[in-house]
Amino acid sequence: MKKLALILLAFAASLPAQELDSHKLLNPGTDSWPTFNGDYSGRRYSTLAQINQTNVGSLTLAWAFQSRSQGSFTSMPLVVNGIMYATLPDQVFAIDARTGRQIWHFQRPSQGGGNRGVAMYKDRLIFTTPDAHVICISARDGKQIWQIQIADPAFKGFASMAPLVIRDHVLVAGSGDAADLPGFLLSLDPMTGQTQWRWDSEPKPGEPGSETWPQDSDVMSRGGGMLWLTGTYDPELNLTYWGTGNPHPVENSEARPGANLYTCSIVALNPDTGKLVWYFQPSPHDTHDWDTNMTPVLFDANFKGKPRKLLAQAGKEGLFFVLDRTNGKALVSAPLGDSDWYSGWDERGQPIPRKEAEPQPDGALVHSAITLWNAPSFDPQTGLFYVNERDWINVYYLTIPGKKAQGWAGRDFTVVGKPFLKALDYQTGKIKWSKEGTGRGGGSSGILTTAGHLLFTADTSGNLVALDPATGKTLWHTYPGAAMGSAPMTYELDGRQYVVTPVEGVIYAWALPAR
Amino acid sequence: MKKLSLMLLVIFAAALVVRAQDDAPQGAAAASQKQAQAEAVERGRKQFVGTCAACHGEDATGGRGPDLIRSSIARHDKGGDLLGPVITGGRPDRGMPNFPFNDSQVGDLVAFIKAQIALFDLHTRTPGAYPNDIPAERLASGSVEAGKAYFYGAGGCAKCHSPTGDLAGVAGKYTPVDLQTRLLYPAGKLPNATVKLTSGETLTGVLQLNDGSYVAIKDKDGWYHSWPRGAVKDLKVEDPLAAHVELLHKYTNADMHNLFTYLVTLK
Ligand code: HEC
Repeated sequence: MKKLALILLAFAASLPAQELDSHKLLNPGTDSWPTFNGDYSGRRYSTLAQINQTNVGSLTLAWAFQSRSQGSFTSMPLVVNGIMYATLPDQVFAIDARTGRQIWHFQRPSQGGGNRGVAMYKDRLIFTTPDAHVICISARDGKQIWQIQIADPAFKGFASMAPLVIRDHVLVAGSGDAADLPGFLLSLDPMTGQTQWRWDSEPKPGEPGSETWPQDSDVMSRGGGMLWLTGTYDPELNLTYWGTGNPHPVENSEARPGANLYTCSIVALNPDTGKLVWYFQPSPHDTHDWDTNMTPVLFDANFKGKPRKLLAQAGKEGLFFVLDRTNGKALVSAPLGDSDWYSGWDERGQPIPRKEAEPQPDGALVHSAITLWNAPSFDPQTGLFYVNERDWINVYYLTIPGKKAQGWAGRDFTVVGKPFLKALDYQTGKIKWSKEGTGRGGGSSGILTTAGHLLFTADTSGNLVALDPATGKTLWHTYPGAAMGSAPMTYELDGRQYVVTPVEGVIYAWALPAR
Repeated sequence: MKKLSLMLLVIFAAALVVRAQDDAPQGAAAASQKQAQAEAVERGRKQFVGTCAACHGEDATGGRGPDLIRSSIARHDKGGDLLGPVITGGRPDRGMPNFPFNDSQVGDLVAFIKAQIALFDLHTRTPGAYPNDIPAERLASGSVEAGKAYFYGAGGCAKCHSPTGDLAGVAGKYTPVDLQTRLLYPAGKLPNATVKLTSGETLTGVLQLNDGSYVAIKDKDGWYHSWPRGAVKDLKVEDPLAAHVELLHKYTNADMHNLFTYLVTLK
């Protein structure tokens, strides 16, 4: 009897902590979404198929979470052990992923700004703040554990990206284009916040890449190339892939002749050392603020009949690249839409920018496609890469000409931007189908594809939609009252699949009617 | 101590000013503060050009002396607490002379340096947060004659516009950059729609929504109407800016500059 009671006691005491089991990061399963993109690949494809083409029309609201706070969810929530962690700038909410009820709320004084979400390490959550801090809090109750500062707000440094956890490394970076900060990626110790390594977007004088900067000025040492969007990771190759931002001074060509490595590049780094393994530059010598930060999406697929490890990216420069992610060699280079700023491709498959498209004191008219941080998706069932994009016409003004320019040295004004959702064939870069946005307002939203043969996103009239990923046909839609600035995500709990859409201050969870 | 009493005095004086202006319209106090600030910046600029520019450059971006736009001391300064001691004390052993300025002279210099930093930090993506201050002369790099010829010829602008009619005085209505972007595409005009319903009725108005599921228009009297897409047999949408869109794909930079140079003559 006593023995039984003891066993019972032991049983009661062993209710698991709601920690993130580290192997879940490698194999999230269908009941969790433990990283910014749901898994390390950045595909934003879920194997869940309970909600599918036959029943999506009856999708209904499972719950809604009201943040009752100023600010919009432009972040990606995580779900681990049935708990959702969502952020507004300087705020984290823990929410019951079954019921939508708040568990705890972390808040610190805020100047506003943006935030893209938390990363989870065991029993901890780690996130960045508009005043360029990295903060670690307990996932149990939101109590702060440590904080560090990674950039100087007096130099317009800030941070918004969701960190990426790889084993015992927290990869994180700051942003800020106004005051010529150099770009960097830090690896922090999740226990203390101490720096393990730092990768700089610019080489040091004499190092490889330094020949792509002027030798007669110090512009390389403050050349920008911020890493402001979460990267991806291939555990087999042990490489982490990141996109870097635009060079400084912004939109000025004369101050920094050369390709300006490693700005506007896709870089493959060793997560244990921060050493660069390869790079590819989608916007060499950028003069249009075309960050290449967009998600490097990883998938293994046949390419021209051979199985390959691929990386696909659609960047702000409006181009689509498919690379061999073992070595960075381009297999496909193609435009997303109308572009007149480059004249062709160099021997590496990188665009050759046209001098005439550079910003001018009296304005230069430039046509380009553009896609922002809003997540793309790769669906292995259709073999298509999906991206929300705009065919853009801008005028670029050079406001601070000359070699001495610093910070923002130009301005650009959007004349018109026609929105499209495009589906690209990864083997050719050809557009398989394209759906023109019906509305004029709203930002572009991110995309989720699922094994239910569904593509979830928002259209530019503000509707949440589920489409047939093979054709773009609308199968379900509803108007949530505002545009979704974030992206949909999905998980399954107790045998019920939820599709989650953060919209302004509200998180909606959609599901099939409860039985 | 002197600084503190000065500060208290300023606060006290400000309180008096506020009291005296209690009845004045709300914006007036802010406007006069802005004015005072602008005057301090101007005094500081003169002072800086006269005493500092030889080493730090007229725009404070450096020369023989360091760039002050990227100076941590200047960036972190609060009311002269960091800049003040450097200016009055100097760093004689390292080439920075000391200047026997009083608090208000230092205040003016600080105001100017801070204003320069703010100018360099302007972010182009925040409309309204920076002045559209690109002067018309810089944008008017083309030829009036060529612009006029394009207006009446290749551009076909005269089909819809007249320099003595709708465009009379257009150069005075917008900032130069706004005028340039608006001549390319005067955003804001919604398309016109003709809606033929399955019931047989036909309505026209300005299109409000056409998202594949619903159609909505505002009729000529300003009333809003909406229908499920299924109730609409035929929908004709006409973009009044279609000619502008077409031109956007034809313009060269020279066309744009010539047209602008012509339009700025329409004062
Ligand atoms: C004769 C040249 C000269 C003149 C004139 C001069 N400076 Fe300097 N200044 C320097 C030099 C050289 C330094 C760098 C000293 C050092 O290495 O610490 C400096 C440093 C400074 C610094 C510190 C910057 C930093 O980040 O460490 C400030 C602030 C500054 N000067 C402001 C001024 C102002 C304001 C004036 C005019 C009232 C002025 N200077 C006039 C040469 C000059």
